Amino acid sequence: MEDFKFLFKVVLVGNAGVGKTCLVRRFTQGLFPPGQGATIGVDFMIKTVEVDNEKVKLQIWDTAGQERFRSITQSYYRSAHALILVYDISCQPTFDCLPDWLREIEEYASSKVLRILVGNKIDREDREIPTFVGEDFAARHNMYFLETSAKEAENVEKLFMKIAEDLMQQARNKDLSRYECSTTNITARTSSVNDSSCCSKLT
Amino acid sequence: MTDLEEMQKELDKIKLQEEQLFEEMKHFVNQRSYVDAKIKVLSKVLPTLKSLKVETQDLVNTIHNIAESAEGISNKVRTLDCARNRVDECQQRVADLIDVGLCSEGVQTAILNEDYEKGAGHVHRFLSMDQSLLKQSATDIENVSSVLKAVGTLQDAAGQLRTIVQHKFDEAVRLEDLASVERFFKIFPLLDMHDEGIRKFCNYLCDKLRDTADKNLQTALNAPVTDKRHHVKFADTLTLLFEGLARIVDIHQPLVETYYGPGRLMSVVSFLQKECDTQVKLIIMEFQKHRQLQKKINQISEVAKMSSSSSFSKLDKLDPKELDILIQEITIMHFRMELYIKFIRRKVLADIEISVLISEERNNQILQLDKLINASDLSRRKHDLLSLYLQLEQYFMEESVSKAVGIDSTETAQQTSSMVDDTFFIIRKCIRRAISSGSLDGICAVINIACAVLENDFCGILRGRLKQGYPSGYLDLTQAYNVLQTSIQHGRLQPSDTEQIRTAFLIALNNADASTEYVETLCDSALGDVKKAIPNMNTNEHGKLESCLSGLSSVIINLKDVMEYGMQQLRVSVIKPRISPWVDSFLNINHQLNDDELSEYEAGESFVQTLIMNLDSLLSSFKDSLTSANYDGLIKILIGEVTARFEKVIFKSAFNRLGGLVLDKEVRSLSGYLTSATTWSVRDKFTRLSQIATILNLEKVTEITDYWGNHDGALTWRLTPTEVRTIMGLRIDFKQEDIQRLKL
Repeated sequence: MEDFKFLFKVVLVGNAGVGKTCLVRRFTQGLFPPGQGATIGVDFMIKTVEVDNEKVKLQIWDTAGQERFRSITQSYYRSAHALILVYDISCQPTFDCLPDWLREIEEYASSKVLRILVGNKIDREDREIPTFVGEDFAARHNMYFLETSAKEAENVEKLFMKIAEDLMQQARNKDLSRYECSTTNITARTSSVNDSSCCSKLT
Repeated sequence: MTDLEEMQKELDKIKLQEEQLFEEMKHFVNQRSYVDAKIKVLSKVLPTLKSLKVETQDLVNTIHNIAESAEGISNKVRTLDCARNRVDECQQRVADLIDVGLCSEGVQTAILNEDYEKGAGHVHRFLSMDQSLLKQSATDIENVSSVLKAVGTLQDAAGQLRTIVQHKFDEAVRLEDLASVERFFKIFPLLDMHDEGIRKFCNYLCDKLRDTADKNLQTALNAPVTDKRHHVKFADTLTLLFEGLARIVDIHQPLVETYYGPGRLMSVVSFLQKECDTQVKLIIMEFQKHRQLQKKINQISEVAKMSSSSSFSKLDKLDPKELDILIQEITIMHFRMELYIKFIRRKVLADIEISVLISEERNNQILQLDKLINASDLSRRKHDLLSLYLQLEQYFMEESVSKAVGIDSTETAQQTSSMVDDTFFIIRKCIRRAISSGSLDGICAVINIACAVLENDFCGILRGRLKQGYPSGYLDLTQAYNVLQTSIQHGRLQPSDTEQIRTAFLIALNNADASTEYVETLCDSALGDVKKAIPNMNTNEHGKLESCLSGLSSVIINLKDVMEYGMQQLRVSVIKPRISPWVDSFLNINHQLNDDELSEYEAGESFVQTLIMNLDSLLSSFKDSLTSANYDGLIKILIGEVTARFEKVIFKSAFNRLGGLVLDKEVRSLSGYLTSATTWSVRDKFTRLSQIATILNLEKVTEITDYWGNHDGALTWRLTPTEVRTIMGLRIDFKQEDIQRLKL
């Protein structure tokens, strides 16, 4: 058994070029690699963080934004614990596509998945989407909202830490409720949170 | 006494020392004469030493002088070296000048004689000279004009040759004169026309490639349906194209390297890639048209839309079997593309490796190569193909599994039904096919899809069947006999509806158990197969694969969950209602026996014998119809129920010494029976019960201390002190005060 107690899958989605890979790189490696080529298929990164003195392993899936990779990326939605939907605040079309992305999420992801809306590239001068518009959209669709800059490392750490904390809270609540309603509806999603403890509870 | 002894010892020691000292002194005295002789010799040597010193000084001076002159000589040698270099240079320039003359004479004749190699050789010699130096040396000497004229001639000749060679090359291409094409191809670099040469040559190669590819595609299109390879003809055509390309690279790489030098492969490849992209596009377009891909994809997405909105979508559903061959062809095509890209990358990397020595520049070139590959139309089409593959594969998997479930059937005497074998056969097939595509992303996606199908559809169906429940109307032996009789009278054995539901329930339970094993095997074999197919995965790719495979372990958890759900159903509908009356009959028995009653009881059919007989007939009705894991699970539940109920009735009874004795015996034989019924140890489940029996079987109250406390004979108790006291209270012959007095 490795020395972490919780394992969460976080999947980033959004149009091509909004900075998904840069957000992940900034968070996992502290880098901002300029001139990044388009992601092919899905990339996979791991970072262990600490929440309330517990080690939490975040498995971050960085998906390609281009349409032709959609059938690869869609297959990762189902097992995701959190989905980060990213747009570029300086590019209106990336914001306009959000409803399409939400439709995909509705179709493929678990209904209980934690959803976060992120407006990236706030370091840029040529903003096209005001903060309140993003906030409003997020509020209407029951999502968290955060504006970030992968380049200036703004809010990136906060974004992922918030996700880790929330998911841990969720997992703990689920653990409690599971004791009460025991056998009938245990979803597979929670069981991957911590395999060993689940097994022992089931027997 | 001791003092004396010590003194004696001390004395001995001193005596010994004295002796030693004496010895040493003797030795010194002996040596004296020898030392004296030595001193005499030394005093004789002394004058010699003085002269030696003077001579040494002389020697030092001489060496100094030599060193100085050596310094002088080496200075002169340095000057000489410099001079010689200049002479060399001068000679070089003179040689150049002479060569210029010779070349200018030779080049014209060579051109006239159509000996272009020789002419180009002259020009190459001329071009390899330092042109500015050449002009300078020309002005340095007297007959300026002749040299300048020669230079002029050569420059003209170079221009002339360039035109001729280009022209001749084009002509050779037009005449398809391979020998001449290669001949002039080799001349280009001599005329400093590397890029031009490669461009022209690659164009020529591309033309050839186009012709062959056209022919291949036409052959494929005209191939009759009866052709053996009709179903993979587009994959075959693509393979031929890539093989042709690879052959071109393999054959011409040494040629380019010899005449153009290393480091040129990237530009060759980038020229070829354009043609490759064009041809791949043509093949794929024909492929899509002839295999009616768009129509199929539309049908699939139509089905997906309809099944989510309405249920009558059976009208125009695509048979997954029809897709099977098509999917096969797509994976072959994808694999070929992947293979070709890897081949090109490997070749160019090797070329960069030998031609670029500075690591920074090398990384730059590698980056450029990756850009070239990733931006190529080939890569784009490869991704498109993979996407297509995944859509079809997903449909294939979902539909085939739902078909397998639809035609589910059970052979008599089989514990599981056909849907388990069929489903896992399909899923294994799909994963293997994904592996054969050579794309890790594709493999991971198919594994993800498989997890979804298993968890949502497959587990859902098993759970659904278990939800129907196990009909509790229990047939006892006489009833079963009657049913059997009437069935036989009707001429055939027709199981009643309840019987059918029961069988379905048990089979679903067994299916879940068998599936867990299948999933485990699937996981292991997939990991092994991928490692074989993609041998050099880095840690990140490995992590990606393992993470996706871990999705399968959550399928196992889901299956175990389904099994647990089924077991609980059995507990409620079968075990609990049966067991309670059997165990409760314990209450109707007298537990305060005298000796006569005891022997009478033991002679007749005792409580535990009846219980065991009942349990045995209950278990045996399940033994053959459950998998061993499920059967064990059932026994586990049964034991839990029996022991809990037994405890309850014990607490409601009152015992005397002999009653306790009988109980202890009965608990032992019950535990013995259930241990023999299963493969794992049940002793643990019986601990509480046997401890209760032990207490009730005590001779007297104080005997408990043999078992309680911190000594070797003590038991690890599962009962609290209060419980122990309560149990002792069940013995009518134990006095309450004695019990209270116990220190537990």
